[in-house]
Amino acid sequence: MTDSTERWGKSVCVPGDEDREQERGSGGGLAGSMADVGIYMDNAATSFPKPEAVIEAMADFMRNVGASSGRGAYRKALEADKIVFRARQAVARLLGVADVSRVVFTANATESLNLAIKGLLSPGDHVVTTSMEHNAVWRPLKAVERTRGVTISQAPCAHDGTLDPADMEALLRPNTRLIVMTHASNVTGTVMPVAEAAAIARARGIPLLVDCAQTAGVHPIDIERLGLDLVAFTGHKGLMGPTGMGGLYIRGGLDLVPLKDGGTGGDSMLEHQPEWLPDRFEAGTLNVCGIAGLGAGVRFVLEEGVERIREKEAGLLRRLLDGLSEIPGLEVYGPRDPARQVAVVSLNVRGVPAEEVASRLDREYGIMVRAGLHCAPCAHRTIGTIQRGAVRISLGYFNTEGDVDRCVEALAGIARAAG
Amino acid sequence: MPFLEDIDIAFIEPCVTDPGRVRLYAEPSRDLAEVLPYLNAVINHATYNKDGPSLTFMKEFRLITIYPRRITMSKVQNTTDAWQVLDWLKDLINDTYDRRGSITPVHGVRWRPTALQIYGWLPRTNCKACGEPTCLAFAVKLLLGERTPQECEPLFFPEHASLRRAFFEIVAAFGYPAPPGT
Ligand SMILES: Cc1ncc(COP(=O)(O)O)c(C=O)c1O
Ligand code: SF4
Repeated sequence: MTDSTERWGKSVCVPGDEDREQERGSGGGLAGSMADVGIYMDNAATSFPKPEAVIEAMADFMRNVGASSGRGAYRKALEADKIVFRARQAVARLLGVADVSRVVFTANATESLNLAIKGLLSPGDHVVTTSMEHNAVWRPLKAVERTRGVTISQAPCAHDGTLDPADMEALLRPNTRLIVMTHASNVTGTVMPVAEAAAIARARGIPLLVDCAQTAGVHPIDIERLGLDLVAFTGHKGLMGPTGMGGLYIRGGLDLVPLKDGGTGGDSMLEHQPEWLPDRFEAGTLNVCGIAGLGAGVRFVLEEGVERIREKEAGLLRRLLDGLSEIPGLEVYGPRDPARQVAVVSLNVRGVPAEEVASRLDREYGIMVRAGLHCAPCAHRTIGTIQRGAVRISLGYFNTEGDVDRCVEALAGIARAAG
Repeated sequence: MPFLEDIDIAFIEPCVTDPGRVRLYAEPSRDLAEVLPYLNAVINHATYNKDGPSLTFMKEFRLITIYPRRITMSKVQNTTDAWQVLDWLKDLINDTYDRRGSITPVHGVRWRPTALQIYGWLPRTNCKACGEPTCLAFAVKLLLGERTPQECEPLFFPEHASLRRAFFEIVAAFGYPAPPGT
């Protein structure tokens, strides 16, 4: 270990590193001190830290409300209802949806994608997707391929993850019932041509399902203006909420078969799931505590503004990419252009396994990143890293230029030692 | 600061006439009496009862009555629907209040419920206790002013408490006050 790494190693582990904390602006509504935990750069897995308001909203619910929503006439239950509605409304506003009831809460993007895919596809249907998908898309598709005889076509993406919409259009068939694509890759950050895909889908009358796990909260999405049919999001990444929260937007007029049936509250006389949204897809007691946190997270995003969040992350990404481009012996994947990707970068250090790089970043430098296949073997096959995986650095709104510089220096040190 | 800051739901129960839907009442954060005649001018097909006072109207399939300190809604899809409509109503009230200088208030009745709508809030047993052959016939007479709600005795049976509440919301529009305990 060099002197300078030793210095970092200490400084990131000692609480009260004031310069860094000021730069991060943690006085203004951040939960916990980042100095206690090191430099977190795994925001594509889940964002950290969370805005203080998120923790407060959850604690307030647990401490002072407690009741389940939709099931009681007493005031605490109605208060829980209101928390749920306000959270739904905030999500609808952020994503450009006028009718709040079209936003259904789920446990995460994975459940949302399962609901959309399994709720829509029937035996004999054909579905088109891309070669950059997360397993949260790919596995449900493989499941309906096996159980319902659905056929799948994968539009090939370039090595940097980009998709030519014409390649997707060429795969459409008369029995294509669904197009599924990610909005941005969780491996390369590549932003996909969703507007073009939506135009293609609309012209053919085929529903388009977009996986916004990596974009909701950090990249503008205007569902109704783009005319998207189904949009899956997760609550714990860019939306700043807790884990275990997600949701699905379902366009009016599009019906899905619910994944689950059960109690929904006021309509107990009905023998079947109600037709009305969101109740139709929300059987069982809701995660009201999680919803309270998600609502606070989305309100935080609305107050900061997605444009401002995107701008800040793009600035940090530019700095990271510039720094990485100076290091010999690195392979950096993806577009390497902040205008064409979200703040996610995958790379390898020549001669060093990805897992070892990640582990050294953590142990020697206090920098948390993720190594491996990132639940997206399709994407790694596309970029040529299916065998060795990659190191993924994913920045968040609370990272600082100092964090980025430390990460670049750390990688330079690891590359130097290897080369 | 807007005229009306908040409307809070205070009570929800399943809709008596439609088990898939809910009815509720909500409380506005301030007295709405002064805006009712202006709302009556702005909302198409509303019924204003100046003695209540109250204002009743349909928003699509939902029946809404606004009293000075209470708003009732029935045939609402679910609580999400309820909150969404209450937000819409709050904006409408604030907008109407802001523009009241250029609105001519309307104090008269502009819409009456139909006999079929009234019928939906009767016990619908055709028991003839009121002296009419059917509940629908009773509803028609009620509209003509030839009968009063009190003449349908079954409506006041304990098992019809919810129905009775809903019934009086709709007939409030013609100035029948709800008897005590409803
Ligand atoms: C592109 C993409 N889709 C789907 C998911 C699944 O999200 P979740 O784990 O919240 O269900 C993730 C992240 O894990 C992702 O990055
Ligand atoms: S008394 Fe009431 S329930 Fe019986 S027929 Fe008349 S209106 Fe209907």
